[in-house]
Amino acid sequence: MLDQAEKERYARQIRLFGEEGQAKLKKSSVFIAGAGGLGSVVSIYMAAAGFGRIRIVDSDSVELSNLNRQVLHWSEDVGRSKAKSAQETLLGINPEIEVEAIMQTIDEGSIDRLLQGCDLIMDAMDNFPTRYLLNRAALQRRIPLFHGAICGFQGQATTIIPGKTACLRCIFPRAPPAATFPALGSTCGVIGSVQVTEAVKYVLGSGELLLNRLMLWDGLNSCMDEVACQRSSSCLDCSAIPEEMQS
Amino acid sequence: MPDGSRREMALGSARIEDILRDLKINPVEVIVAKNGKIVSEEEQANFEDELKIVRIVHGG
Repeated sequence: MLDQAEKERYARQIRLFGEEGQAKLKKSSVFIAGAGGLGSVVSIYMAAAGFGRIRIVDSDSVELSNLNRQVLHWSEDVGRSKAKSAQETLLGINPEIEVEAIMQTIDEGSIDRLLQGCDLIMDAMDNFPTRYLLNRAALQRRIPLFHGAICGFQGQATTIIPGKTACLRCIFPRAPPAATFPALGSTCGVIGSVQVTEAVKYVLGSGELLLNRLMLWDGLNSCMDEVACQRSSSCLDCSAIPEEMQS
Repeated sequence: MPDGSRREMALGSARIEDILRDLKINPVEVIVAKNGKIVSEEEQANFEDELKIVRIVHGG
């Protein structure tokens, strides 16, 4: 149920999907893995849209070199915890929601506890080993994983529904070599916005999701493309999960 | 190609892994779509196939 202030805050969205749709967003609990470039865009738009509970996790502190793209954090935040900085920014944007900020590394030992009570996982990580952890956790819990990644002018996104779509390891069986990546804030803006749009549609049950489709953004050539993917029978992460008729 | 360019190759039939090696592309860094669909590098490609070689991005 939305109060008067919420009805006013979300008036333009209520025109789009009604108070019922807005209430669905309010009831959602989101886990955002990372408060960097993608995590900034993802968390800001999810907070503004009114996802009711956001848990954002990052172990790092803000550095000056982050500020070209990590719009959650400002110059005065350099040296502070990204999680804490994120919480303040998100609650400043929307005090109607709950924001839990955790300064911790996402690893085998912490992931179960970190994901407790969450309905959706937003992948805003900067490395594949942690993404594979999120992938396995999503599969085990049967909750969706909204994948996004960027490098320079390029980005990719897909939506993973356990038991229904290819999982992250079906699409990327091996992690690419770790390297310091060039990053442009507007590329994070494109891909993070796609991830949030996917999450909104998933919660509302509307539109066509990026299921078994890897969306590719080439900002240098201003080109959006996609390639089809499918579950792999040899995938170590998801081959044990039976096909479902629907999500 | 990963840099956005297009390239036509005269092929009979070849494993995608071998095509990548000829192009000096590390298979760990890319995924390959054959006729619009992601496939394993162990798959064969024929002269009429269109391959899209996509560099995997991993930043966030």
